Amino acid sequence: MRKRSCKIEAREVEKVFSADSEDEVHALGPLDLQVQDGEFVCLVGPSGCGKSTFLRIVAGLLNPSTGRVDIRINPENPTPISMVFQDYGIYPWKTVEGNIRFGLEISGISKSRTKEVAGHWLERMDLTAFASSYPDTLSGGMRQRVAIARALAVEPEILLMDEPFAALDAQLRQLLQDELLAIWQKEQRTVLFVTHSLEEAIVLGDRVIVMSSRPGKIVLDQKVPFERPRSPELRAQSDFNEFKNELWLCLKGEVEHYLERVNSVEGKIGSNDEG
Amino acid sequence: MKGEAQTDRDLLSRVPTLADTSPRKYNKRRRLIETFLAVGVPGSLIALWQLGFHYEWIDNRFYASPWEIVSSKELREAELWSEMWTSVQRMLKGFFAGSLLGVLLGVLMGVSRLLRAALDSLLTALYTVPKLALIPVFVTLFGFGDLPRIALIAVTVFFFVWISTMSAIMGVEDGYREAALSFGANKWQIFRHVLFPGALPQIFVGLRIAAGVAVLMLIGVELVLASDGLGALIEKGRTLFLPELTYVGIAFAALLGLSFTYLVRILGRVLLPWAPEDQTPNQN
Repeated sequence: MRKRSCKIEAREVEKVFSADSEDEVHALGPLDLQVQDGEFVCLVGPSGCGKSTFLRIVAGLLNPSTGRVDIRINPENPTPISMVFQDYGIYPWKTVEGNIRFGLEISGISKSRTKEVAGHWLERMDLTAFASSYPDTLSGGMRQRVAIARALAVEPEILLMDEPFAALDAQLRQLLQDELLAIWQKEQRTVLFVTHSLEEAIVLGDRVIVMSSRPGKIVLDQKVPFERPRSPELRAQSDFNEFKNELWLCLKGEVEHYLERVNSVEGKIGSNDEG
Repeated sequence: MKGEAQTDRDLLSRVPTLADTSPRKYNKRRRLIETFLAVGVPGSLIALWQLGFHYEWIDNRFYASPWEIVSSKELREAELWSEMWTSVQRMLKGFFAGSLLGVLLGVLMGVSRLLRAALDSLLTALYTVPKLALIPVFVTLFGFGDLPRIALIAVTVFFFVWISTMSAIMGVEDGYREAALSFGANKWQIFRHVLFPGALPQIFVGLRIAAGVAVLMLIGVELVLASDGLGALIEKGRTLFLPELTYVGIAFAALLGLSFTYLVRILGRVLLPWAPEDQTPNQN
């Protein structure tokens, strides 16, 4: 077991969206969070609780309104952080292989090495036969595999996943969860994973963090009590469901809270309601 | 504007910038800068032009300075304004006729493959014909009045609007069409509720381009058939050796183009509140 150090540290992070002359939306925080090196942390919470917003702040796509996030990285790594999006991630004008190579090309890795790494991930993700296909011709599950391969090919220290499996059907979702589980257990990286699904969070995560409805704060930060390596059969265990129910009780209150607010006066939810 | 204040080589920090801590102040400042640029860039070019005259880098006999243009007696004469009004009327008539026809044919060809097959290559071929070359034909057809001028503007506008309308209609996402079909919508209903509104933002892009082109064509036609209008004024300035008259005409043509394009853009924004704004400098 390698020595664990703090990889991501968020202190009093808040995000307020304010379009001009319109009212402000307090989307997130204040939120304090520490993620250790190599830890798999899942963020769950009702729609609009700011979990994706937080992920985007870590990714550097958004800045916090107050507070700060510090991320320890290896300065030699050209791509210390990569992200998998729910959709819109992969480019329809690039082939499967082209998409996987994208991150490598951006970071300026040599041609031969790029080819080698891309080949490895094509194989790893069972996509070799589709290397020269365009994403439009692939199923949703395969497209998301391409996105994951693209994100992992650059060997990031931190992998950010924003509801990566939300658009997939239940069976495929489970299959990809299992694949991700296997990959992660083989080459541990720090992962921040946003999801709506408690089951997904428990199967994959070392820690599950339940967030409140907007403005998102942490209401529960729970270690997942199941040993690694985990197998897909975990889902059938009785203590798995017990644990899931425990978390659900906590989350339920927040979801109800969210629904109440949606049903009351609030007609307009900002464009960041996935956040 | 990334919030990456790197204090340490192995530390990546996400911290608020001014845009995050006080967005109002930031937006205000940015708008100020944008306004300054929008006024300042043309302003300083004009100043440079004036300076060029002052130090005689530019030949005073053939060219007019901004000050001469603004202070020229033509500006205060009724003649200029009546020429301007003649031109504006022509342009508006041509623009409306051309865009109406363009939208109509664009829509029809957008929905009908057969019509596309029949007319696409023919219209594309005609599109590339320089319209000014058609002046003799149009004069023979429509006589010497306003009609050939208006018709030429209309034809030019037509092609721009036709192409953008057709591709806009064809580009409406299948998902929208299918949703309407699933409710049992008939062809007219699909057109009225889905295809047309879905295509409108793109159609307006075409209209905006056509608005600029209408002014180009207007001046072109009036230069050639120089009896009246802004184009004739410009030509008169050249033949009578009155450079400031020419430049007053050019400046008015530019202003006409600017205001007409803006007008179409504002119209589009008012009529299509749901459409994403395209490359405008006025986002927030």
